[in-house]
Amino acid sequence: MTVSTDQHKEGKRDVTFRVFRFNPQVDSKSYFDDYTIPVERGITVLRALNYIKEHVDASVSFRAFCQAGICGSCGMRVNGISMLACTTQVWDMLAKSKEEGVIKVEPLRNLPLIKDLIVDMDPLVDKMKHYSNWVDSTMPESEMGKKEFLVSEEEFLKYDKATDCILCASCVSECSILRANKEYVSPAVLLKSYRMNVDTRDSMHDLRLAELVKDHGVWDCTHCYRCQESCVKSIPIMDAIHGIREDALESRGMKDTSGAKHAEAFMSDIEKKGKLVEATLPFRTNGVLWTMQNLLPMAVKMILKRRTPPPPPMVKPSKGIKAFRSEFREMSEHVKQDHKSHKK
Amino acid sequence: MKRYAYYLSCINESMTKEVDRSIDLWQKDLGIELVKLHESTCCGGSNLDYVSPKHFALVNARNIAYAEKMGLDLVVSCNTCLMTIRTAKKKLDESPELKQEVNELLKKEGLEYHGTSEVRHLLWVLIDDVGLETIRQKVKVPLKDYRIAPFYGCHILRPSSVLGKDNPLDPSSLDLLIEALGGETIPYEHKNRCCGFHTLLVAEQESLNVAGEALEEALRLKADFIVTPCPLCHTVLDGYQAKALKQAGIKSSIPVFHLSEMVGLALGYNAKQLGIKRHIVS
Amino acid sequence: MKPFDIVIVGGGGAGLYAAMEAMKTNPALNIAVLSKVYPNRSHTSAAQGGANAALANKAKDDTVEMHIFDTIKGSDYLADQDAVEVLCSEAPKIIRELENIGTPWSRLDDNTIAQRPFGGAGRPRCCYCADKTGHTILQTLYEQCLKKGVIFFNEYFALNLSVNGSRSKGLIAMNMKTGAVEAFPARTVIFATGGYAKMYWNRSSNAAGNTGDGQAIAYRAGIPLKDMEFVQFHPTGLRKSGLLVTEGARGEGGYLLNKDGERFMSRYAPEKMELGPRDLVSRSLETEILQGRGFDSPAGKYIHLDLTHLGADLIKSRLPQIREMAMNFEGVDPILEPIPVRPTAHYSMGGIDTDNYGRTVMEGVYAAGESACVSVHGANRLGGNSLLDILVFGRIAGHTAALEARKFEPAAISEDEVKDQLAELRSSMQPSGHYERYGELREELGQTMAANVGIYRESSLLKKGIAEVAELKERFKKVRVSDSSDVFNTNLLQVLELKNMLDLAETVAAGAFAREESRGSHTRTDFPTRDDEKWHKHTMATLIDGHVKLGEKPVTMGRYELQERTY
Repeated sequence: MTVSTDQHKEGKRDVTFRVFRFNPQVDSKSYFDDYTIPVERGITVLRALNYIKEHVDASVSFRAFCQAGICGSCGMRVNGISMLACTTQVWDMLAKSKEEGVIKVEPLRNLPLIKDLIVDMDPLVDKMKHYSNWVDSTMPESEMGKKEFLVSEEEFLKYDKATDCILCASCVSECSILRANKEYVSPAVLLKSYRMNVDTRDSMHDLRLAELVKDHGVWDCTHCYRCQESCVKSIPIMDAIHGIREDALESRGMKDTSGAKHAEAFMSDIEKKGKLVEATLPFRTNGVLWTMQNLLPMAVKMILKRRTPPPPPMVKPSKGIKAFRSEFREMSEHVKQDHKSHKK
Repeated sequence: MKRYAYYLSCINESMTKEVDRSIDLWQKDLGIELVKLHESTCCGGSNLDYVSPKHFALVNARNIAYAEKMGLDLVVSCNTCLMTIRTAKKKLDESPELKQEVNELLKKEGLEYHGTSEVRHLLWVLIDDVGLETIRQKVKVPLKDYRIAPFYGCHILRPSSVLGKDNPLDPSSLDLLIEALGGETIPYEHKNRCCGFHTLLVAEQESLNVAGEALEEALRLKADFIVTPCPLCHTVLDGYQAKALKQAGIKSSIPVFHLSEMVGLALGYNAKQLGIKRHIVS
Repeated sequence: MKPFDIVIVGGGGAGLYAAMEAMKTNPALNIAVLSKVYPNRSHTSAAQGGANAALANKAKDDTVEMHIFDTIKGSDYLADQDAVEVLCSEAPKIIRELENIGTPWSRLDDNTIAQRPFGGAGRPRCCYCADKTGHTILQTLYEQCLKKGVIFFNEYFALNLSVNGSRSKGLIAMNMKTGAVEAFPARTVIFATGGYAKMYWNRSSNAAGNTGDGQAIAYRAGIPLKDMEFVQFHPTGLRKSGLLVTEGARGEGGYLLNKDGERFMSRYAPEKMELGPRDLVSRSLETEILQGRGFDSPAGKYIHLDLTHLGADLIKSRLPQIREMAMNFEGVDPILEPIPVRPTAHYSMGGIDTDNYGRTVMEGVYAAGESACVSVHGANRLGGNSLLDILVFGRIAGHTAALEARKFEPAAISEDEVKDQLAELRSSMQPSGHYERYGELREELGQTMAANVGIYRESSLLKKGIAEVAELKERFKKVRVSDSSDVFNTNLLQVLELKNMLDLAETVAAGAFAREESRGSHTRTDFPTRDDEKWHKHTMATLIDGHVKLGEKPVTMGRYELQERTY
């Protein structure tokens, strides 16, 4: 964030907050109210909302608690993007407004709406429970408090960033897949699941992982990176999601689920041809039956348009494939060695 | 004539052959030469990085090293390839150990990865190297009657720590190009959203929902067509369009063009030359 | 589900530890946690520094005994020494237990829990997780409570205790999502609702909801509050929000400047300058402002914390969070210009009077954490002891309630009582004729508390403060709730919270007026020294006939004799 010299000069101006309104007791559908208030430089969106609530319309409803960017209560969409209202400067958002001098404020997406800017967080808590987002200690309760586990810096660093999460649900709101399917595990819960699974004090890695690879789980992420991009704590959430997948492939094998098979296909095709053999990817991911049912109607059209990917023998290997293959295989040896020394 | 090494994406070699075909038509018109890297291997498609991080580094170090050998930047015309190869480059440049391990193996081909070649999207080259003014001058058939919905796709924008060209919240490069070609861009809220490609085979319904929303908005805004700089987005928005719209209960259709085709149209090539007839939605 | 064996009010560190420990003590019990926010939002998450425990990981010669002494001395000898002994001797066990269930403590080279030095501690014994210690502890406890299946009533606002003579029958609370008033009949109730420093409003670093709800409910039910006059001020709060700029800014070489551009600390602490003890620096800033050498702004008078001479590189690399805060909450980039600051109320030492087991004088009612006063902090709390307090005594209160719950008969709360509460709420929402605005009353409360019951206290100021609080209480009877909705009526909640703050403000002001001495955080300009003969005792505030009555309670002494507190 930069504070431009212009902003230094300009101390105060009128700003219109276009606030999403919905009260289930009286409204059949949502609408927007415009509140134009004087705002001085240095004021956050949350303070502006507080001002509106106190001086203009006390019925505007939103959550706020610490007002300092740590409790995660005031997640909302400002000019369409999910963020914390308490750490967002009005001046910065004005620069990004579509309509001059107007800032749009809406509730988070992908969670049930309660009222105005307030959404129901219970579905998120339920998912945290479903995916056992806690450390189930390997230490019996009767032994606790007597001695510490020794935890290396290396292990600590694996989950350090993940424990920054304040469950503000910005990532939940921005997630492409949740938007399509509310049952999806959601980025925050994947992040927490990852954090638990890399903690050696925890005893239920395998069970948690088994749940994560099921439908609506880790393989349903479509790599759009919206979660990571909107994270108010700059947590690399996709690293965690990929971390769970890497773990799933290693712990449960390459043939475990359609997601795993799909991922494995990349590895084997690259080794064989240097290229992806797209024609057989659906079969290898989901089997013959699924492919026939789901893709056959489309295939006809594609054949007519000469759009079908070439069958495996027709996929021309990359130039220099021989040397490449030997490099690739030697790397496989490296990886094997790494695993051995890691397990020790 | 500015030269670049051109990365061959798997999908453009198989399903979306029209992309490279159209680029071949017009690259000289714009004063650029894209030298095809036949040694290119699959980048890993944003999957290999977690299947095997080390193979991922090796494969892409090699892809870039071939461009470096020619002293050229590597140009890519698939978003996911772009993001994937740039991610690998970032990892290699940040870890001397990884770089060394990979280079030991690349020796077999007489290659070495240095980190000197940039990895860039074709769209970025058009904007930054060719320049909007030059493009404007070269336009023969301005797209002036068209309302165009720019669909950037994810991996040309996010993660911004790896891409960094456009503001992922409000990208503009594709809009600027459309304007330079004489077209009208529409305020398309899905411009920076996802097409759902990467879960098509794993969670098809979700993917189709995601794509359906993007198509619905373009139709609602009465766009004449959607344009995308990514062949994967194209595959969903065009190839799966009927399925996605059916799931969304919409009876309509909208053409989807590749970036390379749109440029070709404005430069005076016809639909047949550009391979537009190969699209599922005509 | 109802009636409950234990109802815990508050889902912060104390409440969650109580819930976890109670489930552990007797898994057959029916336990509920009621919280006005989702538990992971609680103010425990704002504690950055850490928790003290004599683990002796860092300094091998550290002992529980030294921790006890440091705490008693820090309290200016007002802490009860037996309570401090419990606090410090339980500390290592608590920290290890948290470690055992997943708290991501930072680590030393030998992979043990990391510890660092903290103000007023003779050894580096503050256990931490980077600068997010409270946050990670809260997450861990919440996770473990979910694991154990604790029943949560999230976004429920506690209204009152239901009392039958000397015995509590349970709690009455409002479901914020529906606006319905519900009864929670319970054998035992534990208050763990956090502090009350938000009554200083934008002169406070606290969360908006740190309004002392539990203390106010207990007080209205006739339970005495202890040592309410002791409120700790931090020297550098941001002007607009009161949020803390941590000591790191001064540690790295930041200057405190008045409006004449003078490094005024040279007059108060010529050697240590900006790095003098926290209470001294707070008083110095306040003096500058009071004597007219502060800056003026619509948001109030302030002092400059100037980092510009440190240069962009140092600020970016060493003080990134402070920079982010200044930009987020003041719109000021400290690389380019000074940060506007002034002292801010950030911790309340006083609270519900309890014994060392968390019991209050009322049967079946317990309290723990910042809402309680055992007392372990006396007149002044040491850094790193607040997290420890909520953990140790949260755990003890949960354990005690679990052991004692079945001794009490299951209670019932009549429909009528719930209806009365609802009627009272509704009538308070729409006064006829002239009405008062919530925002004005709250603003005035903050101002009068800061001006008259703030860092410097003096007889005439305190009288003024007491009168103004009384007047505000009177005006409050005409306050209007402008939102008529049942669903998530945050306007109603604000008004209910203001009521709690007003009730407690009266006790803070009364205690401050009565205590004619200076001790710890309580500075009387008209009584500038500690007076052990008259005032080595706790004040006890009880509500009798609608007014605060002050009593007293002796301080429990032990091994350590009274000494002058010097560092």
